[in-house]
Amino acid sequence: MSHEPYETLAAGYAVGALDGEDLAQFEAHLPGCAECQAAVRDAHDTLARAMLSAHPQIPPPGVREALVRRVGGAGRRSWLRWAAATAVVAAAAAGFAATWVAVRYEARLGQMARETAAVRERLARNEAALQEQVAFYRGAVELLRDPTTRVVDLRGQGAAASASGRMIWNDAGGGHLFVAGLLPAPAGKTYALWAIAGGTPRAAGLFGVDASGRAAHRIAPGSTAVQVFAVTLEPEGGTPAPTGPIVLASK
Amino acid sequence: MGTPGGELIRAMAAGDRDAFARFYDRYAPLVFPFVLRIVRDRADAADVLQDVFWEAWRGAAAYDPARGTPEAWIITRARTRAIDRVRAVRRRGETFVTPLDEATAGAPTPPGGDAAMRAEERQLVASALAQLSQAQREVIELAYYSGLTQTEIAERLEQPLGTVKTRIRLALARLREVVTPT
Repeated sequence: MSHEPYETLAAGYAVGALDGEDLAQFEAHLPGCAECQAAVRDAHDTLARAMLSAHPQIPPPGVREALVRRVGGAGRRSWLRWAAATAVVAAAAAGFAATWVAVRYEARLGQMARETAAVRERLARNEAALQEQVAFYRGAVELLRDPTTRVVDLRGQGAAASASGRMIWNDAGGGHLFVAGLLPAPAGKTYALWAIAGGTPRAAGLFGVDASGRAAHRIAPGSTAVQVFAVTLEPEGGTPAPTGPIVLASK
Repeated sequence: MGTPGGELIRAMAAGDRDAFARFYDRYAPLVFPFVLRIVRDRADAADVLQDVFWEAWRGAAAYDPARGTPEAWIITRARTRAIDRVRAVRRRGETFVTPLDEATAGAPTPPGGDAAMRAEERQLVASALAQLSQAQREVIELAYYSGLTQTEIAERLEQPLGTVKTRIRLALARLREVVTPT
């Protein structure tokens, strides 16, 4: 018999697939054949490389604990380094079997770096928005500490009868307007706040409401004592004097 | 990365427990997904992993570098134990025989992580085998992961036994090209 059929048997043997007559024949042949021994060894090495090229996964920590106990308490020294060591192993193992794994890892790492940068940017934006909100509410609280600060109720008018507003106003420090129950302004329109002193309305800023009908609006202090506040619906960009319907007004 | 695996095994044979801890730390994260893919249950895979490394500790003195790499030594052991476990579980009737399409579908997915990550892991797990043709991959998976013999594979695939044998040999030759760094 030529040696060629044994090469096929060696492959089947290495993957554990031989059975029956083939298995008996090969097991009788193998101990005396250095060539087949080398072929089996080579096939096992190939299979190990292929199988170990998978994405590393940290096993449940209980396994290591149990093994450390079983071998008699050694390895405890490195116990605390477990998490760090395993992470190093996992990263290093990626390049362990073959180059293409390393290449895939690099692609993945690059993607992760980009994702991280995007997250960082989003966090920075969120933080800026939060800082702004904190400053806003802190300003309102500061105003409330001042005994000369007034809290003025604004009532919904006309079609906006169900809307309500509350103004925290200090003639010297300005104010904060909080609005609820107001429909978002139609396209091309915006809400305008007016501070009325001595019968003359002064423009006190434009604002929009969020989807739930709420708004918070900061007003700079004026030079005169304000008696009445009113909110009107105005064309986008605002007007020097109120022109649209009044939606909220204080008494 | 540090001491070669062969030296760690030699130190283990001399009773060096710290070397064993390092051996575990190096190979367990690689062996675990392999075992998990065969037994398909995390708790079973953890049991098998413990058996495999316990045997490695006990059997370190018998390791002969001339007969194979440390990787082959540990993975061959892991495969045997994992397939033993699958057969034991089947005998207890706790699970169904893995259907063919499932057996060839790739690794089980770990809990947690988003879908994209899981898909990518599956892809990485499959990637060495993915270099094979569908027919070649199938015989390797049925033999190596599902523990079927060549006769069983031939029946399962409804192919002549000779075809299956040749296919296994060609698949191994191709796999060797894939995993050999160029």
